[in-house]
Amino acid sequence: MQKSCEDISKMLVDYADRQLSAGESSEVAAHLTRCEDCRSILMALQRSLELAGVIWEDGLVETEAIRIPIPRKTTAPHWSKYAAIAAGILLVVAISGIWRALVGPTEKEPTFAEIERRITESYSAARLLAAVDLLAEYPDAENIADRQYRYIVETYPQTPAAAEAKLRIK
Amino acid sequence: MNEINPDFSAEMDQVASERSSETNFVDIFLAELGPLRKIVAGMGLSASDAEDILQDVSIRALKQPGRGRTREQCFRWLIKVTVNRCLTEFRRRKRFRRKASEILKRRSETKADLTTSEQNVIAAEELEIVRECLREMDETLLTPMVLRYFCSLGSREVGEILAMGPSAVRGRLRKARMILAKRLIERGVEP
Repeated sequence: MQKSCEDISKMLVDYADRQLSAGESSEVAAHLTRCEDCRSILMALQRSLELAGVIWEDGLVETEAIRIPIPRKTTAPHWSKYAAIAAGILLVVAISGIWRALVGPTEKEPTFAEIERRITESYSAARLLAAVDLLAEYPDAENIADRQYRYIVETYPQTPAAAEAKLRIK
Repeated sequence: MNEINPDFSAEMDQVASERSSETNFVDIFLAELGPLRKIVAGMGLSASDAEDILQDVSIRALKQPGRGRTREQCFRWLIKVTVNRCLTEFRRRKRFRRKASEILKRRSETKADLTTSEQNVIAAEELEIVRECLREMDETLLTPMVLRYFCSLGSREVGEILAMGPSAVRGRLRKARMILAKRLIERGVEP
């Protein structure tokens, strides 16, 4: 059964693009020999693509004229950046030296270890003071308590507990 | 235990070979600038648009790590990015700059195939029809056409780029081509 013009016209693009099987292709070719309408469609398909190509090529000529600046990843070290950092450090050291020379030695600020030591001492002294206060409530332990208050004052002299202990010494 | 586990050693070799074969997107971009330019030109965008688009694509290529991708995959990715960028621009300004007469003038300067004035008039008329038709064509039909016929990609490759099957691509190509052909016939130009 022969295919109608409508069926053939649906195959014409694939025929022009050589996408049809050998059987289908020869069927279309046979139809084209006897059908002028389908022949003109095929010619229009080819011509329009040719003209589209001309238009596209023309646009390409324009785009070929442009230059695309390509940003590049730099792998080399940024010496200028390092130089700026070094200069900054040198500047700080120099200013600091000049300032010390002009103003003189200032009071030494406590270190973190020093602060930590003070906290530990205050805690120990306070804990001991609380224990001695409990002991002092017993009449038999008055002497022991007194000795312990003195111990707190001598061992942890800078703590608030030592100040308290000093008031309780008889 | 001083021995190195053979599996670990093999894994390290693989990693080393992957690193050495790491794909550089920018190098591929530079090597494949021609097809990318074709896409932009095929979509009918102007030279200044093309410059912006290709610059954007180059920046994206620079930022993109090529690790674990083949050259082919990188190229597809670049096409996809260019097509998407073109579509954004295309939707914004759907136009073709040059008129048919100007195109013909330029062509006649380079090619001596149009000899008589009568042929020139016919060609100008035909070009104008096709140019107008391309300008009005829906992007879903124009993009596969540009990729297939101007960039010479296969239907399967076009499908991969536009995220559709090869048969869908063929369907769109058929539709687009018939629109162009019928427009020529309707306007009475004898091919």
